[in-house]
Amino acid sequence: MSKRVAIVGIGYSGFRTTSADLSYREMIFEAATKCYEDAGGIHPQSIDSFVASAEDFMEGISIADEYVPDQLGAVLKPVQTIAGDSIQGLASAVMQIKTGQQSIVATSAFSKVSNLSHYEHVAAYATDPAYIRPLNEHPYFIAGLEMNRYLYETGTTREQCATVVVKNKYNALANPSAVYGAKITIDDVIGGPLLSAPLGVLDVSGHLDGAIVLLLASEDKARELNDKPIWIKGIGWATDTPNLDSRIEGLGTAVYAKLAAEKAYAMAGITTPGNEIDFAEVDDTFSYKELQHLEALRLCGPGEAGKLLELGCFAATGDLPVNVSGGSLGVGYLHEANGLQRVLELVLQLRGEAGKRQLSGVETGLAFAWRGVPTATGAAVILSNRP
Amino acid sequence: MAILERITRNIDNRFWDPGSEAFPVKNRYTAGMAGQRFFKEIKENGKIFGSKCQSCKITYVPARIYCERCFERLEEWVDVGTEGTIYSFTVVYKTKSGKPKESPSIIVAVKIADGLLIHRLNGCSVEDIQIGMPVKAEFKPKAERRGGIEDIKYFKPL
Repeated sequence: MSKRVAIVGIGYSGFRTTSADLSYREMIFEAATKCYEDAGGIHPQSIDSFVASAEDFMEGISIADEYVPDQLGAVLKPVQTIAGDSIQGLASAVMQIKTGQQSIVATSAFSKVSNLSHYEHVAAYATDPAYIRPLNEHPYFIAGLEMNRYLYETGTTREQCATVVVKNKYNALANPSAVYGAKITIDDVIGGPLLSAPLGVLDVSGHLDGAIVLLLASEDKARELNDKPIWIKGIGWATDTPNLDSRIEGLGTAVYAKLAAEKAYAMAGITTPGNEIDFAEVDDTFSYKELQHLEALRLCGPGEAGKLLELGCFAATGDLPVNVSGGSLGVGYLHEANGLQRVLELVLQLRGEAGKRQLSGVETGLAFAWRGVPTATGAAVILSNRP
Repeated sequence: MAILERITRNIDNRFWDPGSEAFPVKNRYTAGMAGQRFFKEIKENGKIFGSKCQSCKITYVPARIYCERCFERLEEWVDVGTEGTIYSFTVVYKTKSGKPKESPSIIVAVKIADGLLIHRLNGCSVEDIQIGMPVKAEFKPKAERRGGIEDIKYFKPL
């Protein structure tokens, strides 16, 4: 069970707001092709097992398992579908290797949300049919309730939330894969149209199509496939109550993030994450979420994230760069593929392949994903370029 | 392995629109043992009920039949009254389809005992709302109640 696991291949496709030219299966095929080439040109016949993260309804299909294997080269192979964020899928792949069951495992995730006319109706359909759905509201009202409670409990300001948007959209300008990059001001965010006040339209990340495939291998195979393996040091996931009526603690605090991260920290042997994590890619589906998550992940103290952000601590040049990729606010929102987008950025940074936005001297990074409204599920993973 | 040819003109892109035939499935969602009784109390008696977990010292509102923390059965139903305090609130400006609303709605999480009821707020301007403010449930007239959360019209300030 002490077997080390490394990421030895990365590939991605799309990262566009619409993608009418390719079917989502072809997008995954393209990402898989790039991933296998990145891992020394491995043929999928040499891959032992495959894990796909996918959710029903999102692509105009249901029972997503039936749509998985061919685009990964996984026909006639062990395949598993995880209806969750792709870091949960990654965890499953890691476990398959750690148990010794498999040596080389591919994991995939995608979004082709541009196929949907009204994503909000799908999210609203995920709220409780008896107590919540009859209100017939835009499902992001839940984010409005959370944001207001978070600001109330921590003293974080509206301006500090807007600063997250400014930072991440600015970071995205240095990322060629990010389509929502922009140079805007705090006033642009606060003065913009409102969605579910205090949440404004610009506090919400925009939808994106894309596919990501990663290849994982056990230590003995890893170096054969890639001379820059990136090691998985810790991984964890957790779910707070699904019932809004029980989220007394969970409305203002990201309980799921705290629990998921503690599992990952324990596995990685990390006790003081603020000192031991060099940079982080953290869910920023909504502006306030980045701050709420940083606190829950113990990357700063409770209620401190907003102030530290204003001091520049989380900028690309700061002590703890957060979402140097641009995050979901800058790159775009990839639904269940959000987790792997954040992992992808960690791998690029840890390999030294992040181009203009390359951070210097980074060894350990954290990625954290949340499954979005109305869920209270999160997953964290810690990667390092040292075994 | 690669995609060698590409569609390069939007007019060539084909897509399938399943239209209204896409999902002809209608489904039911049953309120269950707890929901049935909770809504019956609202409909017939204008009362809001919670259920108490003796070991966790938590009163769930709406009432349930099991505790989500200790997994014990909840057998003690408690009339928790029709008043609570605003735990959080938001002003919703867009419809579910993303269009601007004619007038924004105020959604509140009302803390009653240890639970949160999510509903609309009325009779209060946005500037005057505060977390911690006491509010009261306004029910529909008995004859119009159908046994659902909409039997509560809204919450209003006390």
